[in-house]
Amino acid sequence: EELLVEEV
Amino acid sequence: MTLSTTELFDASAPWSLNAQVSLRDEAFGALAYHHGTRRLVFLKSRELVELVRQLDQFESAHAAIDELVPADQHDRYVGALASLAHSEILRGR
Repeated sequence: EELLVEEV
Repeated sequence: MTLSTTELFDASAPWSLNAQVSLRDEAFGALAYHHGTRRLVFLKSRELVELVRQLDQFESAHAAIDELVPADQHDRYVGALASLAHSEILRGR
């Protein structure tokens, strides 16, 4: 379940 | 009790890419940059990028996911859209 969205 | 981002997201509503957001295609998916909040968001699958680009052609996020995402991935992509809405990458319309 690798993250589809990552935020910086 | 605190509701999660996904629980707060109304997938039965119509959504689209925020006009203040630029999308840049990358090998892993795309970069989304919000010019107002200066948030940089990584969309880490091509399927998610296509879903985001085509959201405004559907009457709801659910309808777009039903059409564009394999059934066993629906919950995962609802969660991804919820996260993007929370980051203001998507906006209701």
